[in-house]
Amino acid sequence: MAERAPHIEVAGFVFRVAGLAAPGRSWVEGRYGPFLSRRAPSFGVHVRASERYRPGRTPRPSATWNGGRFALASHPSRAEGDLARRRVAFRAGPGPALNPDLFRLLCSFLLMQEGGVFLHASAVVDRGRAWVFSGPSGSGKTTIAGLAGARAVLNDETIALRSGRRGWEACATPFYGSGGPAMARVNDRAPLRGLCFLRKADRFAHRRLSPSEAVARAFPEVMLPKRHARVTERLLATLAALAAAVPVWELTFAPDPALWTYLDGLD
Amino acid sequence: MDWTDAFPVRKSVPWRALDTEALVVDVKGGLLYPLNSVGARIWDLCDGARSVDEIVGLLAAEFEAPEPTIRADAIEFIERLADAKLVSIERRRTGESR
Repeated sequence: MAERAPHIEVAGFVFRVAGLAAPGRSWVEGRYGPFLSRRAPSFGVHVRASERYRPGRTPRPSATWNGGRFALASHPSRAEGDLARRRVAFRAGPGPALNPDLFRLLCSFLLMQEGGVFLHASAVVDRGRAWVFSGPSGSGKTTIAGLAGARAVLNDETIALRSGRRGWEACATPFYGSGGPAMARVNDRAPLRGLCFLRKADRFAHRRLSPSEAVARAFPEVMLPKRHARVTERLLATLAALAAAVPVWELTFAPDPALWTYLDGLD
Repeated sequence: MDWTDAFPVRKSVPWRALDTEALVVDVKGGLLYPLNSVGARIWDLCDGARSVDEIVGLLAAEFEAPEPTIRADAIEFIERLADAKLVSIERRRTGESR
């Protein structure tokens, strides 16, 4: 009898997650519920709970790849994969059956291979097009998601950006921030209207960023470890392409629903 | 420091030109250096084939500023790149091959 293995779809990748015991599978189906998919998988993830707890200092997340093979780590889990065979072995260790930090790292790494990025950002769809709001913690990503009203929130913490047939698109992800699971209820995508780097204030103001400024502001917000030269080179190329195609602003904003009217005036 | 026989050489680090500007990444230090148009031009010229004197001469032809100002600024910038281990300084006489 074939193993029942959930399929999770994130930013166009469909992962078949195998190797889970019933409690782990139940946890995965609950945690990633809106992102469960019936589409054919494009990547196989085999989870093994074989990573043991190691006391001591928590190592930093890492991402390296050589040829078609790659290795990712986000304590206490790690993953090793093969791009050509489209398979990854996920060593879960103590904690969640499919560690969201490592799963996010895997999604981010795979998207980088296809010329996209996972950005530390929130995104709101307004009249069919996505505004993406990025910045470090505390800059206002979740605050803006909370101002969305009836508009769809793609996420308040992690947004996938990728170039498709309709140009650059913002894709929802299941990796939410302080807004909690309510910020990742819909697996949707929308063409990118603009990218804003946030600054909280008591008024509205904006400044269009040059491509160089845009890449410099986006680079630290990409959700990948950047201590591997090949990863860094790939990210620079992707962000340069994004900055050339999409308007990027620095946005000073007040937590006021008038934000959406203000954004209409950006050019 | 005597700069007459100094040939700055870019280290093999990720970098990218964007319009007239550039971004250079120090992977080990986890730092990103945004360079303005003058900095980007100096970075581009730090190819090991040109001495500091030659770099200053090219900058003086391309940018409107007194040559002594350009020289002082260029040397200070190259020193900062060297301190950040983004360029190395080779010593040899002009015309001498690497």
